[in-house]
Amino acid sequence: MTTKTDKIDRLAELTAARAEPEHGLGLWREAFRRLKRNPMAVSGAVIVLLFLVIAILAPWLAPYDPEARTWDHEVFQNQNIFVGPRAENWLGLDNAGRDELSRIIVGARQSLLVGVVATGLGFAVGALLGGLAGAAVGLGGRVGQRVDAVIMRVVDMLLAMPSLLLAVSVAAILGPSLLTVMVAVGVTQVPIFARLLRGSMLAQSHSDYVLAANALGVKRRRIVLGHIVPNSLGPVLVQGTLSLATAIIEAAALSYLGLGNPDTSYPEWGSMLADAQRFLSGAPQLAIYPAIVIIITALGFTLLGEAMRESLDPKLRK
Amino acid sequence: MRTKRIRGAVALTAAAVVAVATAGCASERGEDGGGDENKPFIFAGAGDPESLDPSLSTDGETFRVTRQVLETLLTHEVGGTEIVGGLAETWEQSEDGTVWTFHLREGVKFHDGEALTAEVVCANFDRWFNWEGTYQSSNFSAYWQDTFGGFAANENEQTPAPNYKSCTAQDELTPVIEVNEYSAKLPGGFTLASMGIHSPKSLEAYAAAEPPAEGDSLTYPTYSQEVGTVAGTGPFKYAEWNKGNREVTLERNDEYWGEKAGVKTVIVRTISDENARKQALEAGDIHGYDLVAPQDVQPLLDAGFQVPTRGVFNLMYLGITQEQNPALEKLEVRQALAHALDRQKIVDTILPEGGTVATQFLAPTLDGWAEDVPTYDYNADTAKGLLADAGEEDLTIDFCYPTEVTRPYMPAPKDIFESLKADLEAVGITVNAKAMKWSPDYLTAVDASECGIYLLGWTGDYNEAYNFMGTWFANYQGAWGFENEEIFDALAEVNTEPDPATRVEMYKEINALIMEYVPGVPISHSPPSIAFSPDVNPPTTSALTQEQFAEISWK
Repeated sequence: MTTKTDKIDRLAELTAARAEPEHGLGLWREAFRRLKRNPMAVSGAVIVLLFLVIAILAPWLAPYDPEARTWDHEVFQNQNIFVGPRAENWLGLDNAGRDELSRIIVGARQSLLVGVVATGLGFAVGALLGGLAGAAVGLGGRVGQRVDAVIMRVVDMLLAMPSLLLAVSVAAILGPSLLTVMVAVGVTQVPIFARLLRGSMLAQSHSDYVLAANALGVKRRRIVLGHIVPNSLGPVLVQGTLSLATAIIEAAALSYLGLGNPDTSYPEWGSMLADAQRFLSGAPQLAIYPAIVIIITALGFTLLGEAMRESLDPKLRK
Repeated sequence: MRTKRIRGAVALTAAAVVAVATAGCASERGEDGGGDENKPFIFAGAGDPESLDPSLSTDGETFRVTRQVLETLLTHEVGGTEIVGGLAETWEQSEDGTVWTFHLREGVKFHDGEALTAEVVCANFDRWFNWEGTYQSSNFSAYWQDTFGGFAANENEQTPAPNYKSCTAQDELTPVIEVNEYSAKLPGGFTLASMGIHSPKSLEAYAAAEPPAEGDSLTYPTYSQEVGTVAGTGPFKYAEWNKGNREVTLERNDEYWGEKAGVKTVIVRTISDENARKQALEAGDIHGYDLVAPQDVQPLLDAGFQVPTRGVFNLMYLGITQEQNPALEKLEVRQALAHALDRQKIVDTILPEGGTVATQFLAPTLDGWAEDVPTYDYNADTAKGLLADAGEEDLTIDFCYPTEVTRPYMPAPKDIFESLKADLEAVGITVNAKAMKWSPDYLTAVDASECGIYLLGWTGDYNEAYNFMGTWFANYQGAWGFENEEIFDALAEVNTEPDPATRVEMYKEINALIMEYVPGVPISHSPPSIAFSPDVNPPTTSALTQEQFAEISWK
């Protein structure tokens, strides 16, 4: 818990220390410049870009219908007769005679969809909670403190639970469906966004322009809504890209556990992996392909995310 | 530095020598230990037993355990389907088939020291006949009701009238069981694991125990959930049921009347996942497991494991619940479903070697299987035509399938489902997939008529065709959701026909009648496999999946 919360709080703190007027370049532009020079960031960005392109263009890129069992008379799973890579099917066929490459490509779309919707959901709810808590503190008073305390303790409780365990519990309650996966993964993102936005708002509330506004007699509500909130959203948006990576992995994990889309013929990397596990001795490649794309995608997002975090950190500046 | 490195090398070499030496010892010891009857034999099943009292259950995983402990009056020859003497050495049936006289073996003792007598046998039958309250629920007395009808005082309108009349002890070792009407279910019914004979002391304890309860889930009586009360006559007795470890431990009955078991301890462990079962066998954690996936058979054989295959005595079918969807009540639609499914493809690609496409609701190994029944060849165009005739071109069907389970007749339900779904979609039917956990969700949904179509099957209990067709089509059932008096009457008639030869002819006609009506689509018969480690002398496989662990010994 501590490393997780530390990371979140640190990000909040760092980005709050922005907009120093004596700095030649803005913090963001400076960060971007450093990002460009970081090979980790570049390779991460390339992978993420590639993933996005494939996911968005999947229906046009996939050579065949991923659900069509066109070659099912060629695959005999009961006798361990599988079809490996060949000219018409670059990655071979799966256990039901479907084109593996098309399934991997269309599976990317499903992963992206779940990742984006889940993160959006987590962002919306998390930002609402965090914003409320942060505003409550900003508005001050005993009531504000209490509101903040209640919200943040709930958030802490959510944060204390391992995110996959939380997602599995939510998914188990709602029953298996695509929407379930989105909601379950979204719920795990809520506390992260909430804590981040609140932290960021608290950091902003001590900045000079808030002090100035206060001195000028601007109403506190106005300061919170008009100054603090818009200036605090930056780190939350950075966290959004980071969260996409975990969302994709968790979505895959949930479908691997059978809590995903009940229509199993629709390709999804996690359920493809779970399916292939039964044929590990006969057709290990069916497990290896989805595993590799999950690893590469997660690696891409993580590289990019970590690099972004680093480039924003003034203490790591060279 | 240098010396250190040398010393390190010496130490390494020494360690290696020691390791090799001990390994040598270990393997030697292993060879010496060959035939060591004290080494426990560990077998993995796919599900937990429900109860130690088989009378309360219908589940194969339960019977796998209880069959080693409780014996029945009659049983099946080892590895075969012919009925032979069990606790009764011989038996006679009266002319009209209503009086069954059994001659019990002498000197049979229960695990608690009580002697087997005619009175004990009658006490067992009277216990089942006089069951009250929740015991009368089909959740707890399904096999009794199926074989002998209802109870002395039926408490539920749906419970059938009892066919059981009385049991009297003619002399010390001769119980005589009378039924009201001849039934084709006998003598097969006397071989059912649920009809295992309990010790009189156990029966007393049962009578004093809290009855089972039904609610959101079934609650079995305490005596059936822990070792200590249930005592039979079998080659093994219950030693421990560790529910946390999901293990039932059986200990050899050294007083057994027949040939004593080859190993002292048998542990039946539950490993739900088929991959995990295979890996446990490969790792040496277990010495045998059931429900081997077809694709694992050859790799296991190649690795030196023993994978005997059972005879074919089962059927997998696509069930149709007519009342769930008005379209399914139309004969053309059901015929269209039968024509739409490429069953040969499932047999070729998913089922184990030796599987065949089913033409009727009976396995071909049983008498009464008919050569000429209406068949429905795979033809998508015919199916489309029939759907058009019925005016059901935009048909949507709820298709249920079970997850996380394999059955002896149904390896990989999900793959079978996907294949069938693709076939149905190819003829323009919209399939609404409903995935459910096998127990209790799936089975409950099927019985509650919540699925339009579903996958299920049956492994025969004994060699009588009625055990197949009668199970499904003798009366109205929620899973099928239809009333067809012609079929119901025909089955009622064959059930009371005493002449076996006449019965066989009648079964053939009924099979044709059923296939004309297509209440469901029979899919396949397939031989299930069972795996053992190389150092075991495995038991004789049984088409009825009734392996006797007493036959097991170490090589």
